[in-house]
Amino acid sequence: MTTTVERPLAKAPVAATRSRRPGRFRKHLWSYLFLVPLVLLFGGFTVWPMIASWWYAFFNWDGVGSPTDWVGLANFREVLGADAFWRAFWHSFAFSLAAIFIEMPLALVMAILLNSSWLRFRNLYRLVLFLPVVATTAVIGIVIAILLDPAGGLVNRILLDTGLVDQPVNFLGSTSTALPTLLSIDVWKGFGITLIYWLAALQTVPKDLQEAAAIDGAGFWRALRFVTLPVVTPIAIVILLLVFQRSLNTFDLVRAVTEGGPDYATDVVPTYIYRYAFDPSLQAPRYGFASAAGVVFGLLTLVVTLLQAPFLKRRLSGGKA
Amino acid sequence: MKIRPALTVLTCAVALALSGCNLVGGSPDSGNATDKVTVTVALVPDPPGASQFYRQQFDEFEKANPGIAVKVLENPSDQQLNAVELMFQQNNAPDIFRAQDDGMDRMAARGWVAPLDEFVTPEFLKRFPEGSMDPATSGLHRDGKLMSLPLVWGPWSTLRVFLYNEDLLKKSGFSAPPKTWSELERTATKVTADGKGKYFGYAPTAAKAVGVEMLADTAVPYSVPAAGIDYRTGKPATSSPGLVEAVELNRRMQAAKVMMPGWESWDGSRAFKEFAAGRLAMYPTPPWHVAEVRKLAPEIKMGITGLPVPDAGRGAYLPLTKSFSPLWSMSSKSEHKAESWKVMDFLSSESFHSAYYKKFGTLTALEGAWKAEAEKNPDQAAILKVAEETMRRAPNPALASTGGRAVTDALAAKPDLKHTDAAFSSIIKNQPFAPVAAKLDKDLQAYLDKTSADLKAKGKEGSAKDLTFAGWDPLKDYTPGG
Repeated sequence: MTTTVERPLAKAPVAATRSRRPGRFRKHLWSYLFLVPLVLLFGGFTVWPMIASWWYAFFNWDGVGSPTDWVGLANFREVLGADAFWRAFWHSFAFSLAAIFIEMPLALVMAILLNSSWLRFRNLYRLVLFLPVVATTAVIGIVIAILLDPAGGLVNRILLDTGLVDQPVNFLGSTSTALPTLLSIDVWKGFGITLIYWLAALQTVPKDLQEAAAIDGAGFWRALRFVTLPVVTPIAIVILLLVFQRSLNTFDLVRAVTEGGPDYATDVVPTYIYRYAFDPSLQAPRYGFASAAGVVFGLLTLVVTLLQAPFLKRRLSGGKA
Repeated sequence: MKIRPALTVLTCAVALALSGCNLVGGSPDSGNATDKVTVTVALVPDPPGASQFYRQQFDEFEKANPGIAVKVLENPSDQQLNAVELMFQQNNAPDIFRAQDDGMDRMAARGWVAPLDEFVTPEFLKRFPEGSMDPATSGLHRDGKLMSLPLVWGPWSTLRVFLYNEDLLKKSGFSAPPKTWSELERTATKVTADGKGKYFGYAPTAAKAVGVEMLADTAVPYSVPAAGIDYRTGKPATSSPGLVEAVELNRRMQAAKVMMPGWESWDGSRAFKEFAAGRLAMYPTPPWHVAEVRKLAPEIKMGITGLPVPDAGRGAYLPLTKSFSPLWSMSSKSEHKAESWKVMDFLSSESFHSAYYKKFGTLTALEGAWKAEAEKNPDQAAILKVAEETMRRAPNPALASTGGRAVTDALAAKPDLKHTDAAFSSIIKNQPFAPVAAKLDKDLQAYLDKTSADLKAKGKEGSAKDLTFAGWDPLKDYTPGG
């Protein structure tokens, strides 16, 4: 193997400049070969559908045959003028806000705790907190619906028995409680993975820095403030983007627990798109419109992400300094 | 240069792996069953237990027809149409597929449904009740061609019954079920109060406004809750007093916490489970719930009666708009039409219908397969009685004219103009329905006008006139042209 790749290199100095490129290509041929499946799959299942959806968005198309009924920007106008789309968008955004402002800080606190060497059974706690991440969402949906049932569900029984409420709480059936309930479940379900991100970030803090801080007399809080957090800040930015993207695209949980109801109180953009593309009650699916909604959602996500850019850049450079 | 042999080895390995995939994923029939024709049937595992039932039935069929193998493809109910459409697009269409009502029309509009007339014999038609296969009213024909075969009894799809738990009603001092909407409200209120959170008086069948629609069918022509249009006038009528009052009745009961909490997020099977568990005293429902309740609670004292009617008296009967609902269709792309027809013929045989009835308690399209037995079964006899008393033939614009079909298809494509979401919202948010209904009527009229204009511009038929049956009295049987 070694001989195989060394030969062209040995020839390179005597060959013309033209032949260097094929030589380098040959040198890395195996790497390129191993990349082929990824490129094919990524192209076929990510890039192509994305580009295709931009194209389909300009058609009135039911998903069968080739799109032929060109409608220009009509689908985009309809999406942008639909109250239901904006309602779904704000609900999706609420999932992101909950993840960023509740899940991330809580997970950081827990990660700091679980990163402490004095804590016994740390791995067990990590496992328990990570379990919801690997649990099937459909199963979670069924279990949650049973637990939260206002007519005899365990949670309501406890609330009633302890006198915390005098009427059962209709967690999933009321327009005022359904969304907060789903947000809480989403935070609980996503908590484990964010915790793992933070733990990985915390383990990048060099031990010698921590020891130096301790020798200099820094207590826990001062070490956290002046050593740990500055070191993990660049990784925190990546975590923030990952959590933001994941939570903005919440679909399976909503679909499994409320299907966007009651009265669309928990409808998010992915369920909104799904309804127009796949709802069997529609005489003909509206793939074109659903594609336009997807494109608009993608662009809005991009804008929201870019809005964070200056802040993130500042933090990133601060972190590096 | 040693890389070339390595590349050759890699290429061979990939080719071998791919051919392996092909072997693994290829049709099991391609290798060993050269003399057998495989007929593919795409269906849904519904009702519960249907998967095993169909397999057993097709095993019987295969024994009787050794040259045909039946391959079953199952899709979840709400994915069936999309899945079958994808199969067609990938040139991998099933030979037979299950597509109900609008679903069949959706497939037929794409040219994927084969007419069955060439296979049908007079003897075959004799299996069905007399006159029920008339192309004008069967519900299975499109443009005079037979496009589908039925599974269930004609009235089964639109029949609605009212279930009540005799014991729970008795506990609250009621010896009979409510006959009117006021009685329903009073009875439900009392039962819920007496239940003290352990059981409840009433709940709609499922989330959304299904329960409203069922009650409204006793007050206004069926087309009002179904499509927002009064077929006597061809005009939008969501704000009809009967429909508005049906919503208001539900709104009052919801606001007074009479209804079982949590119904707002129920799926289609929750109501019969709660009823069978003795936690729900009354609810309106399609008739298939009866057998499900009986399966879960064989000893429950379940009363089955007609839906309560408005206090002012019945304003309409439940509609019989066609003889049957379409269910089994043959693919126009099938390469084994003769064999597929044999399977469809089996699916319409008395033995299959009898087995289906025995397994699921569903009254099927071939009355001879179950009628004598059903009349002796108290639950099914009660269902038959309710159907007899509360259903009347009603006009069906989709079958009456091409224009009617075009306009009803257009209406079906705009579910947001239906009362459903607005009524549900009114009930759970405790807001009056009448103003919303008036706005829906206005929007619906505008949409109807636009649809008519669009159809006219394309040189097609279709206007409000096609939705108008001026002589129809929803309290009497409708006779086309009568």
